[in-house]
Amino acid sequence: MNSASELGRLEQIVSQFLLKTLHIILESRIPSLKPQDHSEELPSNSRVKRSNKWFNLALGDRPAALENLHFWHRNLMDPMVIDIIVVHREPQSQSQSNSCGRVALEGAATETVIERWVIQYENLRVLPVQSGDFSSSYKKTYKKSIILLRTIYSVMRLLPSYKLFRHLTSSSQISKYDVIYKVSSFSNPFSREDEQTMKQYSFVPVEAVNGRLCVCVTYRSVLSDFDLESSASFPPMIIADYVGSPTTDPMRAFPPPERGIRATSFPIRGTTRSPSSVPIHRPHSWSSGIHGAAPSFQDQPLGGSPLVHRGSYIPNDFISSPKNIQGPRIQNYRLPSSHYKTSSFDDQLSPPFSPASSPSPSPPAHLLSNSPNQSRLRHESAPLAIPQPILSRSLRYMSPNFSDPNRHSLPPVSSRNTKPEPSMQESPSPSGIGTSRKSEGLWPGELYSGMASQSFGSKVCRDGKEDSGRFSGLLSSGSSPRVGFSRSSSRSFQDDLDECDFSCPFDVDDVDTSDSLSSQNLDARKGLEFTSSALSMGRKSQDAAVGALVHMLRTAPPLRQGSSCYSTQSLKGEQEANLGTASGFFTPQKAADALEELNSYREMKDLLLSKSRTLSS
Amino acid sequence: MNCEVCQLKELEVEHFEIREVLRCILHTIMFHRALGLVRPKDVDLQLFDITYVQCGDVELEKKIDEKIDQFLCWVEKHPNKKSQICLSFYEVKNNKAMWFSNRVERLYWEHWYINFNVVQHPKAHSSKSHHSKVVDPGENSSGGESARRTTLEASLQDVLFQIIRFVNDKKDHIPSIPSREGISFPYDITIPSSSDTTFGMDMIKRMLQTGHPTMLS
Repeated sequence: MNSASELGRLEQIVSQFLLKTLHIILESRIPSLKPQDHSEELPSNSRVKRSNKWFNLALGDRPAALENLHFWHRNLMDPMVIDIIVVHREPQSQSQSNSCGRVALEGAATETVIERWVIQYENLRVLPVQSGDFSSSYKKTYKKSIILLRTIYSVMRLLPSYKLFRHLTSSSQISKYDVIYKVSSFSNPFSREDEQTMKQYSFVPVEAVNGRLCVCVTYRSVLSDFDLESSASFPPMIIADYVGSPTTDPMRAFPPPERGIRATSFPIRGTTRSPSSVPIHRPHSWSSGIHGAAPSFQDQPLGGSPLVHRGSYIPNDFISSPKNIQGPRIQNYRLPSSHYKTSSFDDQLSPPFSPASSPSPSPPAHLLSNSPNQSRLRHESAPLAIPQPILSRSLRYMSPNFSDPNRHSLPPVSSRNTKPEPSMQESPSPSGIGTSRKSEGLWPGELYSGMASQSFGSKVCRDGKEDSGRFSGLLSSGSSPRVGFSRSSSRSFQDDLDECDFSCPFDVDDVDTSDSLSSQNLDARKGLEFTSSALSMGRKSQDAAVGALVHMLRTAPPLRQGSSCYSTQSLKGEQEANLGTASGFFTPQKAADALEELNSYREMKDLLLSKSRTLSS
Repeated sequence: MNCEVCQLKELEVEHFEIREVLRCILHTIMFHRALGLVRPKDVDLQLFDITYVQCGDVELEKKIDEKIDQFLCWVEKHPNKKSQICLSFYEVKNNKAMWFSNRVERLYWEHWYINFNVVQHPKAHSSKSHHSKVVDPGENSSGGESARRTTLEASLQDVLFQIIRFVNDKKDHIPSIPSREGISFPYDITIPSSSDTTFGMDMIKRMLQTGHPTMLS
């Protein structure tokens, strides 16, 4: 391999390094360029783009702006200076124009540079280059630059500006601050007073055969000038009715709190959520990032002129003209990729030069919090089986549906058949009948909750613990701050059992009995047998159990998409109308599911019996 | 190839903080040593305002969590003690030259020592303290508690920067990755075992396994 080809490879490594660094910096500083949640991407290696494989750091698709900026950066030896600028819109215009730290813009906005990254390949042709050095030099350079990029990625999250970025991306309100970036090959020096507020961090350069890659950052250590609405540090708090964040698990969309929780108000949203739906629920600051009037930099000369990007606006001049100048050079970058063979060393560390790149190891199953938790959900938290109410037509019949793993902890609501089966009404156990008659005088909801509350009691506790395990997994893998949840979930369930302050959600006649499936009837009968003893318990525990039920319903995962057809109708107790619409809702249970349900009933029964014993004693 | 050692700054932690802190540190080290193709995953700590990066590998996460569980068990049996967890990276060498032993030899090239001082303050768990010393110590300890937590957050940030600095400084000793090794170099995590003496024995065993570089040539 001759030195020319080696140098060409080295150039490509440096070029891709610049691009990758720019990608890392922009995606973690510019709210408008924040990547989508990677959870929906398939972890398969074959689907990782070649550009993503560079430096073995898959960041997702590059923003379009990055490609254009890369064209603009002509000379590899020129430093790439990236300024991260906070734009502060003020109601009244200011005429300050001191140094480049703060610049007054038209329309009363102030710009402050909060970070400046300088990436440069310093060409040091001090030592004569020997041919033997080339053979492994670019490989070492590549390996070291992989590590350097990892450290840059980590440091991006440790610097103070990251908090501002997170605040802007997570805040639902339009902020008076926006973050833009500026890429140039030169930098205006900071004023003395700005320098005093800024610190510098330099990464150890990566040596190459004829130079070295240097990265350093100058950053504001204190961002107190920007009065963000929320404080940066959140002391841990216990959030009793935390319902999670939409981005933690796209398959589990929790109902928003303001809807209120009724016993039959299940979220209409389906369990499947497209990636594009996530941003809808988490407003981005794109709108605040795009300024109305384009800046006047279009008239600036090319070459060393700074390129200011506000939001996603890209001036056409910069796209068209640089191509003419950089045409041959760009081709230099592109062509070698098809000519070079992949090296035989370190398949995992070879740069993806060629189109048929070396077989990288299969990337780790980028597992999002869903899949282990979903599997955990399938096995650990058995579906909660609310036994079928004995009598009233207005009671909603809920039964577990094991076939849908997403509905594990919330009994599905069926609007399939609100006409009660005769078998359902004729409870096999005498005690069941007796208790049902007894409860006729109660509100259907109360009956339902009373019956089910004790069965919930044990289940709630169990689910609480399971939930805490589940959510701690979610928490550890999510990217949005979730404070103080994992340990509090189980405690909150038990607290709910102890307290009697929850309003009964079943005050209105908004539930209905439904279901004509015989398998459901069988389970219902069994449920009735087990839970009939629950009615003998005191009212105090019933209220607590109601609260537990409310809480569980609040945190229940969404039902399937078919649930939208029943949720609102059944609320009004229109039983006959639901007959036809709910036909497609139930799926027959398998024997294993029924057995599992039976076991859960047994456990409920044991718990209830033990509780009744303690109460009676 | 020499073996680099990094002694991380000691952290004073309470029992309930260990899991988060240890997970943060271990994953940060692994992220910088897993040089295979990774899709980084940002993780926010619950107790502190710090975000660290994971590799996104399920197996790695599982192994780390297992080790943390074991360490927590050990801490419960040995409360209020200083402890050390060692994350080591090694190369596997098939030493066929030694006729009396055909076993696989591990050549350690990096050791990370994570130092903890597990403390338990009197008002550590408010749920457990039910009756005594209600008024005044409550106010004092809450102020002290927040100061301690702030200090720990700053120290944890220092430790993360320490890792990053070490990773940047020392790159020459890193071996080449053998193929089909997954995303990371082979590693093991050593926690203090049930008795201190065996912990020392573990260290001696590792030293024997490491072997002298000249023996392998």
